[in-house]
Order: sequence, then C-alpha cells, then structure tokens
Amino acid sequence: MAREARTFRAEGIVLRRRNVGEADSIFVVFGPELGKFEGVARGIRKSRSRMRGHLEPLTFSRFLLARGRTLDVFTQAETIRSFPRIGGDLERWAAASYYAQLVDRFTGEDAPHPELFELLFVALEALNDGSDPGSVSRYVEIHMLALAGFELQVDACAACSARLSPEETLLAPGAGGLVCRQCRPGAGVGRLVSVPAIKVLRYAARASLPQFTGLHIPGEVAEELQQALAGVIRYHLDRELPTARLARELSPGSNDPATPGADTL
Amino acid sequence: MATGGTPEAIARLVEQFNRLPGIGPKSAQRLAYHILRVGDEEAEALANAVLEVKRRIRLCSVCCYITEQDPCGYCTDDRRDQSLVCVVEQALDISAIERSGGYNGVYHVLHGVLNPMDGVGPEDLRFRELLARVQGGSVSEVIMATNPSLEGEATAMYAAKLLGPLGVRVTRLARGLPSGADLEYADDVTLLRALEGRQAV
Ligand SMILES: [Zn+2]
Ligand SMILES: [Zn+2]
Repeated sequence: MAREARTFRAEGIVLRRRNVGEADSIFVVFGPELGKFEGVARGIRKSRSRMRGHLEPLTFSRFLLARGRTLDVFTQAETIRSFPRIGGDLERWAAASYYAQLVDRFTGEDAPHPELFELLFVALEALNDGSDPGSVSRYVEIHMLALAGFELQVDACAACSARLSPEETLLAPGAGGLVCRQCRPGAGVGRLVSVPAIKVLRYAARASLPQFTGLHIPGEVAEELQQALAGVIRYHLDRELPTARLARELSPGSNDPATPGADTL
Repeated sequence: MATGGTPEAIARLVEQFNRLPGIGPKSAQRLAYHILRVGDEEAEALANAVLEVKRRIRLCSVCCYITEQDPCGYCTDDRRDQSLVCVVEQALDISAIERSGGYNGVYHVLHGVLNPMDGVGPEDLRFRELLARVQGGSVSEVIMATNPSLEGEATAMYAAKLLGPLGVRVTRLARGLPSGADLEYADDVTLLRALEGRQAV
C-alpha cells in the first residue's frame, strides 16, 4: 500500500462553519480544484489562534491540511481574498450565505467543479463591489441550476421544442423550462411568467455577471423572477433553503424582519 | 445482529455519551466503561444530577438565562440598571462579562448566533423574547456582545435592523476584541475596554 502524503495544500472559499467541542470548528470549503472538502481547526475560537480571520465563512483562502483519521486538520490558513463589504452589510451577507448554501446543496463531496467555483467567486466579488444583491442572486440561481444539470430551457418549448409565442408562458421545473400552450397540460407544477421576465431570463443565460447587473430590472419583474426561480430551486431541492428565506426577508422590497420566524409561530 | 459484540446496554450508553459536545467515539467508550466499574451509588448520583438539571433549571422568561427561579437573579436585582440590556450568544458569556466587573446592567441570552448556512436562522434564536422586552418600553439601550466573528457581526446587524424602528439605542462592543475569537476566551481588560468603547450599530 502506498503511503499517502501526511499533509496537503488546498485553496477555496469557506462555505460554512460548525462549532464543535470547546474551541474547535469544522469548516466546509469549496475549492476550484478539490471541490467540496471539510476539515477541523483546533482551538480556532481562542484569541491566540493564528488561523482565525483566515478561516471565516465567505473568505477565499489557501490552506495546509494534515490528514486525520476521521477528519483532516487545518494547520495553516492564509487569506487570498476577503470580501469586507459583504460582512458589513446584512443584505449582502444574507445573499452571499445563500450562494454558499446553494453550492453546498448542489454539490457532493470531493467532486471538482471549477465553473461552479468561478460562479461563486464572481458573485461574491459583485456583492463586494456594490452590485444589486437581487440581480446577483437571480444570475447565480440561473447559472447554478445550469451547472448542477438543471439548465432551464428558455428559448423554445422545453417539452416539444416548438417556438414560443411572445406571451405569458408557463415556467415548469419538471419539464425543464418554459413550455408552450399545447404542452401545458402535461408539464406539471409551474408558474406563469411575463414577457419582460422571459427576456430577462434569456439575457441572464448568455450575459456575463457584470453585463447582467448593469441591466435595470423594474421592481415588479424582479419580484416575479425572484418567486419563479425560488419555485424552481425549491422543486429541485425539495425545500426552501433557510438562507433563501433570510435573503428574501432582508431584501429592501420586503417588510421589516419585525416578526422573526412569524410563519413558525 | 450482534453476535458476541458489545452488550446492548453498554452500546446504548456509549451512543449517548458520543452525542455530547466534544466527546468522540473513543472517549464515549472510555466513559461508558468507567461507569460500568463505579459503584451503584456513584452511578445513581450521576443519573440523578442529570435529571435534576433538566427538572429544576429552566430559561428565565425575561432574559432566557438559565435559572432555577423565574425571573432570574439578574432580572430581579434592583441594584442593576434594568434599562441596559447586554445581548450575548450563550449563558457562559455572562460569566466572562461579570468577571470583568465593569458592567451593571442586565442580560439577554440568544442561545446561539445567526448561521443560516448551518441551519440557524433568526427564528432559532431568542429574538422574539428580546423584541417583546424592548416593546415593553423599559429598555433604553441594547448592547450587542455577540462574538466578533462574521456570524456575530451579522447577528448584531440583524438586531439593529429588528430593534432600530422601536427607537431603542443599539450598540456593539468596541473592536478591542480580536476578530474570530470567542468572548468566552477574552481577557478581562480587553473585555472591559470593549464594553466601555461600544458604538452604535
Ligand atoms: Zn411544447
Ligand atoms: Zn432573567
């Protein structure tokens, strides 16, 4: 049996942290080469830990890990890129947390996915640069779905490939996108989307993120897209993600979060 | 089917210990075999102490601190400034602040920090109780003493957004605390300075 190296280098964006034991935390990281991996950082919650600050959720860092019996152990961490504006703004933080959770839910462990990493990275950069969190979120949802193998067909009918008439059209996640009038009965659950919303969906699919966030989307279209895409994601993940709800509650259009967890009362 | 494996009663105890924070499978096994060796009296005392805690200790209906009497000693102490509320992540943090000796207000324990990526949203924390307290009108300032981590900062911002419209002053511990480290481990001097230099969120 070949002996494995006892330490290895890795880099990635920290997706989440879970505190364990007295002062340890387990971190789940998503890297361009390794995909999703996790490890434990011992004593990181004590003030003397040299790794704290470099091992924070939503930070892109370079690590040294030691192979452990059950869990690999972080032994060094150094920030490559941090996104300070995200940590200082509740709405941006909620949006970034949502992207991290989407990546977490749409990926398995140890499966490299460089395009998905790139998407997460540019999305965090856009949030940090002051782009509208709502626009960034819609772009991330559309491209995340595509990269996870659930690309929405928006150019023609997802069921029969027929041309779509310029009218309100059903977006049916089970069928894989927009469906024409004829295919509607067998398309399953979905939501009717307006012509302007369809135009935005088409543009998002081919634009870069900076191009897309440069587009002004009227409030009611943004709202419509938010609900339609949330429905598609819920369909594929079987539930609304807690971060999706938080991001929605904290976006400027929604009511104040004056009743935390009101729907669970 | 367990043939010649660990007796079921021991396996069950190992499993229970293994669920405790900071106890891995190895330690759980060691603890279980230790219990097996101790006298009946000692084992019973342990079992009773566990049950007693669950029976007698509850959360204070005002501040959510752990207490035997409701409301707790802090909430009924009239030498304390009841209009000044320091919000902490966990009950243990109160001991750290009390140790520093520089605080004479009362507390509110959230029992966690916003960490939606790990499944903890606002509804899982004691924000509802905090909101009710502030709506009651007797609170003039809320000091957010959550840890200086990304999650701690977000929790403080969330509280400011939640309570701001009610006209209460919401402040945050000064940046004396090193980022990422837990309050529990801060030294008294640093903590005192952080309390004195608190700023509006
Ligand atoms: Zn069709
Ligand atoms: Zn109390």
